[in-house]
Amino acid sequence: MKVHIRRQRLASLLILILAFALIAGACSSGESVDVGETTTTAASGGDTTTTATATDDGGDTTTTAAAAGDDKSGGMLIAAQGAEPDRFDPHLTSAFASFQVLENIYDTLVQPGDDLSMEPALAESWDISDDNLTWTFKLREGVKWHNGRDFVADDVVYSYTRILDPDFGAANAWRFGSVESVTAPDDMTVEIKLTRPTPNLLVNIGAFKGMAIVPKEIVEDGTIDTNPVGTGPFKFVSSSPDQGIVLERNDDYWRADEGLPYLDGITFLQIPDQTVKLTNLQTGEVDWIDTVPPQQLAGLEGDDNVVLMRVPGGDYHYFALNQTRQPFDDVRVRQAIAMAIDRGEIAEAAQFGAATANQTAIPPGTFWSFDYAPFATADVDGAKALLEEAGVSDLTIEFLVTSDFPETVTQAQVIAAQLEPVGVGVEIRDVDFGTWLDEEGSGNFDAFMLSWIGNIDPDDFYYAQHHTGANFNFQGYSNPDVDELLDAARVETDPSARKALYDDAAAMIVDDASYIYLYNPENINAWGPQVQGYMVRGDNAVRFETTWLER
Amino acid sequence: MTGYVVRRLFQMALALLGVSVIVFALIHLVPGDPVRIALGTRFDPDIYEALRARAGLDRPIVVQYFAWLGSAVTGDLGVSFRSGQPVAGLLLERLPATVTLAFSALFVALAVSIPLGIVSAVRSGSKLDYLSTATSQIAVSVPDFWAGIMYILLFSLVLSWLPPSGYVSFLESPVEWLRHLALPALTIGLISGSIIFRFVRSAVLEALNQDYTRTARAKGLSERQVIWRHVMPNAWIPIVTVVGLQLGFLLSGVIIVEVIFAWPGIGRLALLAVQDRDFTVLQGAVLLIAFMFLVINLLVDLLYGYLDPRVRYD
Repeated sequence: MKVHIRRQRLASLLILILAFALIAGACSSGESVDVGETTTTAASGGDTTTTATATDDGGDTTTTAAAAGDDKSGGMLIAAQGAEPDRFDPHLTSAFASFQVLENIYDTLVQPGDDLSMEPALAESWDISDDNLTWTFKLREGVKWHNGRDFVADDVVYSYTRILDPDFGAANAWRFGSVESVTAPDDMTVEIKLTRPTPNLLVNIGAFKGMAIVPKEIVEDGTIDTNPVGTGPFKFVSSSPDQGIVLERNDDYWRADEGLPYLDGITFLQIPDQTVKLTNLQTGEVDWIDTVPPQQLAGLEGDDNVVLMRVPGGDYHYFALNQTRQPFDDVRVRQAIAMAIDRGEIAEAAQFGAATANQTAIPPGTFWSFDYAPFATADVDGAKALLEEAGVSDLTIEFLVTSDFPETVTQAQVIAAQLEPVGVGVEIRDVDFGTWLDEEGSGNFDAFMLSWIGNIDPDDFYYAQHHTGANFNFQGYSNPDVDELLDAARVETDPSARKALYDDAAAMIVDDASYIYLYNPENINAWGPQVQGYMVRGDNAVRFETTWLER
Repeated sequence: MTGYVVRRLFQMALALLGVSVIVFALIHLVPGDPVRIALGTRFDPDIYEALRARAGLDRPIVVQYFAWLGSAVTGDLGVSFRSGQPVAGLLLERLPATVTLAFSALFVALAVSIPLGIVSAVRSGSKLDYLSTATSQIAVSVPDFWAGIMYILLFSLVLSWLPPSGYVSFLESPVEWLRHLALPALTIGLISGSIIFRFVRSAVLEALNQDYTRTARAKGLSERQVIWRHVMPNAWIPIVTVVGLQLGFLLSGVIIVEVIFAWPGIGRLALLAVQDRDFTVLQGAVLLIAFMFLVINLLVDLLYGYLDPRVRYD
């Protein structure tokens, strides 16, 4: 009988443990939980046209809080990103997660400054010939590669030749579309000859690290994908699934005389679930995270452990109707849709207000911004009238969206509700991103919905998507007047004249509803109060060059 | 016995071949293209065609399959489209994490289910029995991703006892290894344990109702002797079957839990491979999982021979 009782006690104890665990698990913590897995976009890099008006949201986040005489140097920053980098070759990768890391390892000839105007990096100065066809760059002296070798002009020639090589398949070769030749007259000079004047050349070669300068030796020995060697503030140390990606300070960095970088190193961890990533920040396991689930923004306002920064970004969300299919080839139908929706409402639903509604692509507040909003908001009667005029009734639109970018699903749902009073039905086709790309490419859709990580230069906002026959013109738009304007704007060197051309082109693109633009989302990062000297950028580039840890 | 093992190994090879054909066919039938995805939304039709040709994607499917098979049997599982790294290396890198999690979860599952199951069966109909059965029912119904996130919020955010996610290797720090392992193992272990519990309970109950149990009791043996010398040896067989199946399931790298806990295992790798249509990685991962599953099955079958004297292999 002793055996009986002992076993009973043991059993009761086990049950208690089990019950406690289950009840603890079952108790709701009352917080909103994001169980959806959102992948960060796989589009190449982030460049945008914006001002750098950084809005603070609690906590001190100014970039250079000059603490009097402090030694800021030291410390290992633990950064958590939401997706996994695929490879480290800057010319081949198009994964945003890769660029979050590579931003700190490599340099380009020029780079976007804090206000997104192009400033010197590996090139100290440049001259343009009178005919606008030759650009001469003077390189910075005393720059060393992470492997100790001196940086020379031949490295630039090598890198650009690699990108231009048609057999290589560089992800960003199109940016060099007007480049005829790249030569190095001497060790510190690079000469680029063009086939036509290219006013946005600096943006093309420096917008982000996809056009980084790489050393020939790591390409030839095949280690560029696994062991990147650059000229940037941090050196690559290791990458493994369990320890993440580890970088250490480059003591020979070309801004070392300013004491940069401060950090001893950075560890990039990959945490796909957004809620878990945020929890890691809140518990102090990590110092910095790249995104915050938008529905939790409001809840974090008063949290002293989390510093949030929101900046208007240059991405834009849109949808496009298939102009090769009836009745979407009729501009009146497209315009009817464009005026029936309420962009503000869509932005609120999809981004929890962390966005600015926009009827054009370029966000407000920058040199290239174009204030143009020809469509009314939620004009049900106007839309109905237009549809009637076009002789369309009983219209149903199938929206091609993808849960891999969950905002597209939310947007489509809101639009469905907004189009109902107009008498237009909406079906939502939610596929994974791979399928989405396939369907988009083969024209198998009524409407597709996504976003572009826009560029600093308007050419990238408009050319490839709206020029007849261009690479990304999947909606089948063709307007010879727009083509003429876009082609002319590509070679116009006077900024005001150029802007006028783009404004005219944009007006037509918007009027024709080639894309129906929705909003520009904000760029948001979050970090602990110990992180100083970091700012969220309009182009979403992640730079830890001037960051330090307060201990 | 050796003849039996050899026959089974041959069957395993056939099964693996079958699996490889099915996976290959499925992933090629699904729309989506690894080159287009690897190039991202900014691509050039000419570069796209060139890369496809270079990867051999423009050959007929059957040719592609046999080309892959040809290298696979020599140990060359190919190279990932996404990262350009050899598939075998990627799998080996992530295997320890998955195996660790699988066995830890199994440990939790067995520690909970076997004692509880035996007691519930012996005390069948008691309050303890009803409570355990009801609790196991709830545990099985709770989705693992929800349970996982709840545990993280409770133990990490609210109580600050454990880290929310991540993996630390045992060699680096045994304490941290355990602290990081606790929540994911608990998440899967409790669910798996609930499934095993029900099998243990019914297997033991079944054995308890047999004639030999009645005889043993009639002989005057103590309850403990009855349970351990007569009931359990018979109950082990169905239990071992289900444990083998569960272990196979766990080794497939419970994808959702790996994603939530940022666990660097094979499940997550396979998920990424599906999203990117990374054929070679997916083939490799599925084959590895199938192989482990088949090996466990073989071991379970051999274990029968040890547990049950009636079983003969020839």
